[in-house]
Amino acid sequence: MTPQSTAHETTAVTRQNTNHPRSVAFRKAREGQWSQLDKLVEKALKQGLRSLSASELHGLPVLYRAVLSSLSVARKTALDRALVDYLDALAGRAFLAVYGSRRSTRGALRRALFTEFPRRVRALWPELALSAGLVALGAFVAIALMKIEPGWYDAFVDPALSAGRDPQASTETLRAALYGGGEMGEGLGFFASFLFTHNLGIGLMCVALGFAGGIPTALLLFQNGLMLGAFLELYAERGLSYELGGWLLPHGVPEIGAVIICGAAGLHLGRALFLPGRKRVRLALSEAGRRISMVVVGTIPLFGIAGLVEGIFRQSVTHDPTRYALGVFNLVWFFAWLFLAGRGSEARA
Amino acid sequence: MNDVDALEIVGPEGVPLRFPRAPVVDRAMAFAIDLCALFLLASISAAILVLAGVTSGLLSVAGLGLVFFFAVRHGYFLFFETHWQGATPGKRLLGLKVVSRDGGGLSIDAVIARNLMRDMELFIPLVAIANPAQFYGRAPAWLLIPASLWLLVMMLMPLLSRERTRLGDLVGGTLVVRVPKAPLLADEAGRDSLLPPAPGHVAPRFEPYQLEIYGEHELETLADLLRQAEQGNAADEDLVLVALTIAGKVGFLGESPRREPARFLRRFYQAQRAHLEGKLLMGKRKGSKFDRS
Repeated sequence: MTPQSTAHETTAVTRQNTNHPRSVAFRKAREGQWSQLDKLVEKALKQGLRSLSASELHGLPVLYRAVLSSLSVARKTALDRALVDYLDALAGRAFLAVYGSRRSTRGALRRALFTEFPRRVRALWPELALSAGLVALGAFVAIALMKIEPGWYDAFVDPALSAGRDPQASTETLRAALYGGGEMGEGLGFFASFLFTHNLGIGLMCVALGFAGGIPTALLLFQNGLMLGAFLELYAERGLSYELGGWLLPHGVPEIGAVIICGAAGLHLGRALFLPGRKRVRLALSEAGRRISMVVVGTIPLFGIAGLVEGIFRQSVTHDPTRYALGVFNLVWFFAWLFLAGRGSEARA
Repeated sequence: MNDVDALEIVGPEGVPLRFPRAPVVDRAMAFAIDLCALFLLASISAAILVLAGVTSGLLSVAGLGLVFFFAVRHGYFLFFETHWQGATPGKRLLGLKVVSRDGGGLSIDAVIARNLMRDMELFIPLVAIANPAQFYGRAPAWLLIPASLWLLVMMLMPLLSRERTRLGDLVGGTLVVRVPKAPLLADEAGRDSLLPPAPGHVAPRFEPYQLEIYGEHELETLADLLRQAEQGNAADEDLVLVALTIAGKVGFLGESPRREPARFLRRFYQAQRAHLEGKLLMGKRKGSKFDRS
């Protein structure tokens, strides 16, 4: 406003002055606040919230709420679209700066692993039961069929995977397969990390395929069960069950456990898609997605442990009682973790 | 802002905020940039690891590399979307952001969930297309058709869904929006840069009945015209034409529209807006001149 025009307003057209739209005064009174927030938000979005000083950080939510109230008033009373659009955009950007991401607090990882993960897994018990049931069913079917006709083995286990461990192999070969690998020496670290990434990849796929209604997940679980059952029966038939147990148990507990958990997560997703209940599918899906993400994160250390045991321990320790000792140890901590951890804070939460 | 392209999010304060939806093309470009960054990151670390492996002669270094690649591939999006306020470098370059649909903060759960599905949407279908024999294994041939169809639907979800969301957004309960930006334009009614009326003339005045004719739509159109005139983008003849039309319609008597159309229009805009806003306060809205209330 130039002094000249002010003079003109006051002398010549006083009536026009009172006739100013209300939104003009509204805007004049608040413009300063808006541009203040504009600058803060610009900085926060460009350089992150950490670049703000303590007082700026303190002012951000206060100014944000002030602008929100301006926006609400402007939408209802101001007939200047440029003004409403500006406030809309400013409030939107401020929202992104204020609520952009929730940063984790200290101890988040520990809480996630020892409280959140076991609690989420327990909450998934119906899917967990189904997932474990599918694996068990697969194993049972494979064993039953192989008892009738050992040739079924080839249908259950891909020849590429069995690496000579099939019904045609001699008992000695089968036994040697359980204790081989010790000569790998230095390559064990590589083998362990290969197993870790490979298995974790399969676990993640199990979850993602859950979106296809859980059907591919269920198939994958069943197929894994078939493979497991076929191996069990192959070795049992030769009287090598004890030796196979020592070979399988140490890494099998975390690995099969993690696969079953991933499968349960995938089935949960499929359930949200097909049986959302009273909710809209979109809401059911996003709620399920958030519930299972912590579950999936928790399986990463499981796959890691399994990879280490399978890649290093199993290859270098061939003493059966030692293998069993580790297997039992794994069983104990695995179930203790899943079924006991995080109970106390459940009551608090 | 077109309503079809606007996404509404209600924040914790209860005020609905409108965000422009991120166009599919922008999202694809952001993703391409991220893929390039990912590739660059992977190749640099691969070079370092190969060098370290060769000099030390340890196979374990390769194992470390394997784990590292896995972490980079799955952690890239996770890291940036949690640490860079919901934007990966690609999204940041294109001015996009991930927000939580429920209006709360973007939680780590949501970010994990939306990125878990990335495999399903992109890598699994790509592998299935590139190498079906390996992907489907020994599955029977008839199974390939429904499986491939399903994968195709997953992949094209951003084009098929009403809100142009990809699967990950559906599962994570997130949306990708464009960071809204609008300059604060000058208030045409608050601009007092009017010259004093020429000697012997009074500023045009309008009576309430003259302001009953037009509605909000005409008001906005007039505001746009005034802004153009301000920037010198409107021809004088046009202004005269508009001013005369308005004067004729509202029954304004006087020479002002012909002699000084810009001033007349500005005065009219001011009076009309004050009038309509006054009525708005009483709860009466007049959308356009066809609105009879």
